[in-house]
Amino acid sequence: MDLYRENLLDHYKNPRNFGKPSWAGDFMFEEINPSCGDKIGVAVKVNPSTSLRASSKQEIGDIRFWGEGCIVSVAAMSMLTEEVKKRKRLENILGITKENVLELLGGKESIPPARYSCALLGFEALQKVLARVKSKRA
Amino acid sequence: MIFEVRLEGATYKEPPTKFEAGTPHIAGAIGMGEAADFLMEIGMEKLRNHEMEMNRYAIEGLKKIKGLKIYGPLLSAERSGLVTFTMEKIHPHDLSQVLSEEGVAVRAGNHCAMPVHTRFGLTATVRASFGIYTTKEDIERLAEGIERAKKKLR
Repeated sequence: MDLYRENLLDHYKNPRNFGKPSWAGDFMFEEINPSCGDKIGVAVKVNPSTSLRASSKQEIGDIRFWGEGCIVSVAAMSMLTEEVKKRKRLENILGITKENVLELLGGKESIPPARYSCALLGFEALQKVLARVKSKRA
Repeated sequence: MIFEVRLEGATYKEPPTKFEAGTPHIAGAIGMGEAADFLMEIGMEKLRNHEMEMNRYAIEGLKKIKGLKIYGPLLSAERSGLVTFTMEKIHPHDLSQVLSEEGVAVRAGNHCAMPVHTRFGLTATVRASFGIYTTKEDIERLAEGIERAKKKLR
């Protein structure tokens, strides 16, 4: 299966939820792949009406990402932010696995293992941010 | 590598045997000898001339591609058998992926040479390397593949 399908190229040229937001604060992280210089930053905002709940029941109100990278890394993160918005609840979002991310891109069969680090760069950044959200409400 | 081994300790032979445990990579050593014979049979000067001809042909062809930048000296005699380049608006990983699908194998990244990349203000490049088996047709396929990647990815 062709990796650079229309869908992927569309997410690369028109990345969803793209741009460092003015509200980026505590829940933000930038991940770099030094071997190629790709950099993905991500920020999330907790939905204020859920902020008093136990951390797992909290909802992510908004997510944005920024940076520069190859088609795979940008498209993957674009799709991942859509998935995060779809799931809303932190405990659901924490359930997103590396396999899920690869599925979003078209499945493991369409991505060579050499590109996994590209596909998962944004995912890694997101994990670090989510860990902070979770620990803020012990 | 040892003289004696007891539970309380061990005594070792003199170098180099001290540092050579087990069976050495005999097959590798024989293989290297064969490789050296093979190259010398062809002739080192002949090999170098072929390398330079591939360099020259590649630089001549790649130079024509709009948006492509070659790094290092453009004189083939001042290069070893490779051309390192970047393509405007296409990430090296993506370019090498498309080329791979076209049957052209290049390397993308910093080629274990981060400091020289920093010197040029780069993080990643694409590198095509040539051997005695490289033909002009291979280089033409490289150039065609790059043009195809431009259409596909930009």
